[in-house]
Amino acid sequence: MLFPTIDFAIFFAVVYTVQWILNPYPGPWKAFMVMASYFFYAWWDWRFIFLLAASTAIAQVGGMVIHRSVGGGRRTALWATLAGLIGLLAWFKYYGFFGVNLDNLFHSLGVGRPVPLLAITLPVGISFFTFMAISYVVDIYRGVLKPARAIDTAVYLSFFPHLVAGPIVRGTELLPQIRRRRDERHVNYVEACWLISAGLAKKVVLSSYLSTYVVDPVFADPRQHSALEVLAAVYGYAVQIYADFSGYTDIAIGIALLLGFQFPQNFNRPYAALSLQDFWRRWHITLSFWLRDYLYIPLGGNQGSEWRISFNILVTMLIGGLWHGAAWTFVAWGLYHGIGQIIGRQRRRARAARGQSLEPAGRGRVALARFATFQFVCFGWLLFRANNLETVREMLSRLFVGWGPSPLVTPLAVCAIAAGIGSQYLPDDWLQRVKVLFAARRPLVQGGILGLVLLVITTLGPQGVAPFIYYRF
Amino acid sequence: MVPTSPSPDAGAARSPTLAKAPPAHGAAGEAGTDVADDAAEAGGADAVPGADPATRRWPQAAPPDGIPRSRMLFIGVICFAVWLLLDAPSLQRSAVTSPLGTRRTVSLDVVGPIAALSRGLGLSHLVSWADEALGRTPGGGPALAKRLHPALPLAGVGHTAHGPRPTGPPGTPTSTIPALDQHPTAANPLRVLVMGDSIGIDLGQPLVADLSATGVATATLDGRIDTGLSRPDYFNWPAELGVDLANDRPRLVVVMMGANDPQSLVGANGEGTTAYGAPGWSAGYGQRVSGLIGEANAAGAHVLWVGMPPMARSDLNAGMQVLNSVVEAQVGTDPAGATFLASSAVLGDAQGNYTAYLPNSSGAEVNIRTPDGTHLSPDGGERLSQAVLTAMRSQLHIDLPG
Repeated sequence: MLFPTIDFAIFFAVVYTVQWILNPYPGPWKAFMVMASYFFYAWWDWRFIFLLAASTAIAQVGGMVIHRSVGGGRRTALWATLAGLIGLLAWFKYYGFFGVNLDNLFHSLGVGRPVPLLAITLPVGISFFTFMAISYVVDIYRGVLKPARAIDTAVYLSFFPHLVAGPIVRGTELLPQIRRRRDERHVNYVEACWLISAGLAKKVVLSSYLSTYVVDPVFADPRQHSALEVLAAVYGYAVQIYADFSGYTDIAIGIALLLGFQFPQNFNRPYAALSLQDFWRRWHITLSFWLRDYLYIPLGGNQGSEWRISFNILVTMLIGGLWHGAAWTFVAWGLYHGIGQIIGRQRRRARAARGQSLEPAGRGRVALARFATFQFVCFGWLLFRANNLETVREMLSRLFVGWGPSPLVTPLAVCAIAAGIGSQYLPDDWLQRVKVLFAARRPLVQGGILGLVLLVITTLGPQGVAPFIYYRF
Repeated sequence: MVPTSPSPDAGAARSPTLAKAPPAHGAAGEAGTDVADDAAEAGGADAVPGADPATRRWPQAAPPDGIPRSRMLFIGVICFAVWLLLDAPSLQRSAVTSPLGTRRTVSLDVVGPIAALSRGLGLSHLVSWADEALGRTPGGGPALAKRLHPALPLAGVGHTAHGPRPTGPPGTPTSTIPALDQHPTAANPLRVLVMGDSIGIDLGQPLVADLSATGVATATLDGRIDTGLSRPDYFNWPAELGVDLANDRPRLVVVMMGANDPQSLVGANGEGTTAYGAPGWSAGYGQRVSGLIGEANAAGAHVLWVGMPPMARSDLNAGMQVLNSVVEAQVGTDPAGATFLASSAVLGDAQGNYTAYLPNSSGAEVNIRTPDGTHLSPDGGERLSQAVLTAMRSQLHIDLPG
């Protein structure tokens, strides 16, 4: 069930009403929320609710065993649980990719084709709920979280606002909220309405427009397009993926707020970042910090020799790239950002050794740092979006030789790209003023305003909504 | 995605903050305080933290700012009422063109009276004006479309004689079209129109590029997601083809569509429904295929109809086999006007069945289908595109370099 659909609107109206009615009763509320979330997930393919249930069962049983074990048994229980969770993810998401590459490798070595090639359907959101389950059991292993009741774990992992495309909420963040009664007298509606409206506008209008009219045609066949169109497609994709993913997250956070839950922030003006390190503190924040806490630090983090630290960074970014998709382009994208992070680290060390500030000083340097970071990230998006490395090569070549007319670079396309990038620099107080003005209206007027906003979004958007990019991850 | 932090700014790398109040935690080494509190509060694996075991009631959280949930519900109801009233005519059009069934019936029953009220009050003009301002035709079909134009100029456009303007309704195939120029040149390229649904787009994107790369052909792709020949009330391909034929003047039309067509046949104005599987369905669908071919032929274009590939889903695969047999039979009635290319021979296994992997020219297995088991991956699209080029050379005897 996609968020911007009538189906979801009806579903949410029912869930909103019933969950607040059941709010005083923990047991029925939890049972209802699990059923509603599984129904939401079954809307795509009912068979995969068994996968979600299996992940939940592995995490729950594993968490209990880890908690009760002592000594080496704890570690064994942890690895067994992780093997179960990662095994499911690997089977559904990576078997096809590794299978075909291994098969071709064996074939090229002249040992036949021993790997069976299977077409496995990728379940929606599997990467997200698997990472949440991993954080849950690792937190239990680390002693920072105690095993929750089975029904709490089921709500935690299946809670529909975050289920299919995040944010990646940790047990330490969500379980306490599941356990306590939400305050039905204080629904944080202003923030929720803002987030849902902004998210819908980003997804339905901005992302859909850029995708349909600029990005997809150029990436489908760069040879048919001029340098200016290729450039517009690269910047257009930077805006598209931001609008698409942050739009989804905004809606998810807004919906959670209406249900009385607070989710972590997932985006914070990523294209205003001053460095690559800064970018990853602002882009898909919950994944960045998940990788840091559950992969980078266990690998050794910033401890050890510079070679070891660089290795840790590279491995983490590589796995981060693969998390996004099972293809060589994602591997290349992960490596690209890993190398960028390593270079950035060395540069910071050199500046620190010279006693210089780590942050750029002065408007000119700040602007230059932002510009350079944005260009670096945009080149990365080229790797991320391209179907294969040949497309990347073709796009780059067109940038230098593709002189000619550029019918796709319309004033509207330029405005859309500028709006997406410019939105990163909107002052906070402007937004606050809008919210204060809205909050001061009567409920009837507020409803009318929201209705008109919805009308503008649905009118400007295309008929039919393309799936969110991050669903496939 | 690791905000790796050397010691000077390690403190800045905080965990994500919550949307409003930020009880930040999560980072190893920083998470201790909050999480320890939570763990201590939990009181054991089976306990609801802080709950009174006798009553199983919730512990109370500190009240944040906000409004009662009932007022929020009121605001939400007003929001949807306003939107529904203003946008009901658009919703009604969407409902009319949705697949036949209970859902469509219920949608029409609910939205119909509201749309009538909206029109009666003159409120529907708001959206109509917006549609006009945006250059859109209300209810004019899917907007998620792809249209690729040739990079090379359309040499000869406006100078080539072509047949009478198409009229849209199904006609009788004709074999009176001028013979295809079998030796196109850069100065006088072969103009090709590729049209189809989402799978047609999967083929069309590489095909447009491959044709352009020959240097003697220009191609335009008109692809519409979620379309086919069964529901012209949703998207009218004969009318669209008429526009394309007039604009692009193609000499060859490559058609690939059908994945959305195993459903009831409906007329362009929603009339004359023939249920899918009913005795007259195949004949009715054949007439539509014939009409499309006749329309292209009347404009002087030969049709190369690419059959649907095998599908992973057995019911869809069975539907595609029915469709392919109808199209192939229809094409066989007038070989001079149309040619059929069976994609199952290109995208199927040795028996023509569904397969997700096939070896490429160097023997390496490549994935030719997307994970949904329906669409073509870029490698699958390219493979089929090359098969179309081969068919153009071998069956249509067009001299294409490469």
